[in-house]
Amino acid sequence: MTVQPLVQMTSISKTFGGIAALENVDFQLLPGSVHALMGENGAGKSTLMKILAGVIQPDGGMIRKNGQIVRFVSPREALDAGVSTVFQEHSLLPNLSIAENMYLGKEPVTKFGVTDTAWMERKAKEILSELGLKLDPATLVGNLSIAERQFVEIARGISARADVVILDEPTAALNAADVEVLNAQILALTKQQKAVVYISHRMEEIFKICDTITVLKDGRNVDCVPVSAIRPKQLIAMMVGRELSELFPPRSNRTEGEVVLSIEGLRLTPDATPSSIMLRRGEIVALAGLEGQGQRELVRSLVGQYTPHGGKVAVRGREFAFPLSGELGIREMQALGLGFVPEDRKLEGLFLDLSLAHNLTIGLHSRHFELKPASAHREVIANSMKSLSIKASRPSLPVNALSGGNQQKVLLGRYLALGADILIIEEPTRGVDVGAKAEIYKLLRDYANAGGSVVVLSRETLELIGLCDRLYVIHDKHVVTEMPAESATEHAILEAALHS
Amino acid sequence: MKRLDDLSRAALRIPPSYIVLLVLLVTLWMMRPNLMNVAILGTFARQVVPLGIVVLGQLLVISSRSIDLSAGGVILFVNYLISSGLLYEWPILFVVLLCLSVGLSVGLLNGLLVGKRRASAVIVTLAVNIILIGLVEYLANGKPPGDVPDQFRQLYNLRFGTLPAPVIFWFVLAGVMSGFLGRTVFGRFVWSIGSNPISAHFSGVPVERTVVLAHTISGLMSAVAALVQTSSIAVGSVRFGPELVMNSIAATILGGVVFGRPAQVWGPFVGVLCFALLFVVMTTMGVQEPGKLIAQGLIILLAAIFYGVRSKSNS
Amino acid sequence: MKRPYIVEVKTTEMSQLGRLFVGANSRHGLWTVPLLVALACSLALAFSTNEFVSSQNILNLVAQAAPLILVSIGQMIVILVRGLDLSVGSVVSLTTGILSLNAPVYVAVPGVMLAAVVIGLLNGITVTTFRVHPIIATLSMMGIVQGITMFVRPSAGGSVPSEILFLVSGKLFGIYMPVIWVIAAILVAWKVVHGSRFGLHLFAIGGGETAATFGIAERRNVLAAYVLSSCFAAAAGIFLAGRIVSGDPNIGTQYAVDSITAVALGGTQLAGGVGSLHGTVIGCALLAVIANGMNLLNVSAFIQTIVKGLILLAVISLQPRKTIGL
Repeated sequence: MTVQPLVQMTSISKTFGGIAALENVDFQLLPGSVHALMGENGAGKSTLMKILAGVIQPDGGMIRKNGQIVRFVSPREALDAGVSTVFQEHSLLPNLSIAENMYLGKEPVTKFGVTDTAWMERKAKEILSELGLKLDPATLVGNLSIAERQFVEIARGISARADVVILDEPTAALNAADVEVLNAQILALTKQQKAVVYISHRMEEIFKICDTITVLKDGRNVDCVPVSAIRPKQLIAMMVGRELSELFPPRSNRTEGEVVLSIEGLRLTPDATPSSIMLRRGEIVALAGLEGQGQRELVRSLVGQYTPHGGKVAVRGREFAFPLSGELGIREMQALGLGFVPEDRKLEGLFLDLSLAHNLTIGLHSRHFELKPASAHREVIANSMKSLSIKASRPSLPVNALSGGNQQKVLLGRYLALGADILIIEEPTRGVDVGAKAEIYKLLRDYANAGGSVVVLSRETLELIGLCDRLYVIHDKHVVTEMPAESATEHAILEAALHS
Repeated sequence: MKRLDDLSRAALRIPPSYIVLLVLLVTLWMMRPNLMNVAILGTFARQVVPLGIVVLGQLLVISSRSIDLSAGGVILFVNYLISSGLLYEWPILFVVLLCLSVGLSVGLLNGLLVGKRRASAVIVTLAVNIILIGLVEYLANGKPPGDVPDQFRQLYNLRFGTLPAPVIFWFVLAGVMSGFLGRTVFGRFVWSIGSNPISAHFSGVPVERTVVLAHTISGLMSAVAALVQTSSIAVGSVRFGPELVMNSIAATILGGVVFGRPAQVWGPFVGVLCFALLFVVMTTMGVQEPGKLIAQGLIILLAAIFYGVRSKSNS
Repeated sequence: MKRPYIVEVKTTEMSQLGRLFVGANSRHGLWTVPLLVALACSLALAFSTNEFVSSQNILNLVAQAAPLILVSIGQMIVILVRGLDLSVGSVVSLTTGILSLNAPVYVAVPGVMLAAVVIGLLNGITVTTFRVHPIIATLSMMGIVQGITMFVRPSAGGSVPSEILFLVSGKLFGIYMPVIWVIAAILVAWKVVHGSRFGLHLFAIGGGETAATFGIAERRNVLAAYVLSSCFAAAAGIFLAGRIVSGDPNIGTQYAVDSITAVALGGTQLAGGVGSLHGTVIGCALLAVIANGMNLLNVSAFIQTIVKGLILLAVISLQPRKTIGL
């Protein structure tokens, strides 16, 4: 006899801007099981779960809940149907209490039409204590720690009588004691014949609490196996295995240059292990690892956009103690020849409605005093457009008329035009087509060969292996290991990260 | 198809003020063809010169995603300084410089509170406005204000050919501002912040400093406007309605400069001319003060809705 | 909209001192400090003047504060959802204008409320549907309504139905009407802001963008907030019309700034999501006590304006924000 699955997703497909994120993915969830969803960055785990949670709609495929075909158009609908999600980005409101957050949108009222706070708090307290938590339900969420917020999110799911709970990287922000609490909660859920989807990058957790593993790769199913039938090494082998493409320019035979940037004893969180990193002249260094492990925080600390807890940085001999000033960090670093290229080129990088010329030269302008005449920098613009082969009819074109690849090159060009000799780049090729990718890789390599130094972070591990000279693997807010890119493999990086 | 798209995009980039001015000119020409000569139109334009000068500052501030509602207070204060009789003995150049430095300091104060303290610009400039008004009322203490020195009046009535001197002054000042925006690093900073303050920060633009400077210049422009305004009425005044500030925002928005759009001078400049003509057209049509207020409100609202809808469809 | 990755500052985060005053568990903002200041001012006035504690003066004080309390409650509701309403002052003026047209009271009062609802709806639609910045939307509405007011009543004058006169200066069960107005307004507002689902949703909307995903009709609630703001302003207009027994196109002008001052003074954060009715009432009371005290001490009315401006400036520059500008 077979048990009817709680959730049955069949042939789910989804494309974003012409790129397939999911292709005919199947996923099945049995009652009482803790189901791990594994895969590399960009394998489609989050997309699949967002579809199940009603955050995004699939292009094709079918979802059955308890045997019935369903279609969730909002997280609320999914929650009402019993699918509760604890996402990495928190969805609780800081100025509402725990109880109010749990019952937001369906608050009970007394016969006078007043919200029944007492009832909500009593119920919330029951659910919290069911989970073994001693939190006062009247506490404002803004006053909770990150771990506590996560527990409240789980409690909210339970208060909605959800029988499917999706945990997306629940332990990323938790310490060991909190993880124990969480595991106890998961166990309690399965005893009530509820199902848990567990997305995590910590291998030992998967093997400790999960019973089934579905592995995705490049938006397709690889396999679905019981945990008892597989070993960590085999699992990693299933997750990796993409081919290194021909996109990457050859590495040059470098001699060891002098150190231009060194970070020492940087602690991203108060109790994180200190990390040290150094960058030599003429070298491209990658910060690799699974998504959201602290790579962004690390590079953003360098320009005052993240407040770390102690440590110091030396840029070409000038030393600074962390944290750096949020207002001046960028300018100070630019003055020292360090350019920071932000990840989100639309929100943080470019001036979309302004001309290509403006976007290229604004960095140069910002080095000058306000009242100085703004020189047209025609040569710079012409040179940049030529050397970066930016395809645009004229420099006065607004950049939103350009393709993603050309936009990215404009953004890079801004910092190159500055004469920066250290570049910190987040996601150099996000949303860029293959041809432009190869061009950008070549650009960066040429830049390094000419004596520049680059720090890159990217979700695509392969890109880092192909592009860089040396990799730092970041996991759990600190550097776990360092390896030369030549001998690095996806497998090795994943293993270093997961087995730390 | 692509060309059509480009064309419509280009059409949308034309400030609404150009079209409104054209419509108003045609209306006036049909209703009162005899008014259509340079001398008369110049006189109309002269009435809006103070507004036009305030707009030169306002467009900087609005484009930097801030706002300046303190122009009324500055004008009142400068007007008091000149007409109260306290400074009749002083040389006129000194009086002018004193007035300008008042505007400059008020602008700097606004700028520091908005840029460095990050207080809400609306409330800061509103508060500064009522403080200035209260100060003038207290200093005047109910006494009727005195006269404005003759030199001011003479300057105001000067004409070069058929064009009144204030109009020429306004035009030159607008040209200077346009050049300033287009040719200096500061202009690039304002454009950048107007387009995307986060990107501006990441490209190394000193965002706070730019906002402070924009407010300071706006305060200075208010003081210049006050000098022209004071010359035009020739006597002191204890009351200025909020219309001038309202109109300065309306003209700026009508001229195609809204929060988050790059600053430019000539759109708002024409926007102010629209107001000059609008008053004339409405007066000839017998519309009174209330009607004008309603029309101004509607213009701001429609222009803002127009941009709101457009930015939504673009994103 | 996606937010840029900059370290977040919690909206409810406050200083240790702040926690001491309010208790850590509050989204009501810092209202104890203005309360203490108001009490201190009252105490000082009680000792330095003979008139302050007289029943006549206290009634005066309540009558002076009543319209401001009404307008500020509406203003606070809009501020909670990250908005601002600059048109409240002209709505007050318009109301006195309409009431002074000699229409019978059962026509005039519904007419006034209808006008307020329409104005509020227009404000709300402009802000929600057309995504116009609240300041621009309500600033232009202020001009339009002021223009209409001057059509209705070009200069101060006219006469108001006698029923309204009674509503303001009469007595009910031996209690002076202004006191009843204030108590009624506070009760209604308490129910709306702190005692209903709608009120909770106002806080939720002010608290963050995720509110919308949890079954809260953001657009409808924001619309309702603007309508409420106009209606409270209209109520203040009715009260004022009863006090001056006529219409005045400029009587409301000060209320836009005053209400924002009072709300901010009462600990409500202009960034939305944090604030309280009691804070707002305390803010109004503080302003009223200051004005009343300066009257008693014979301080020029103009100095009062300056002091008001300085208070607003001080309060506003003490509220930290992330964004620069508006």
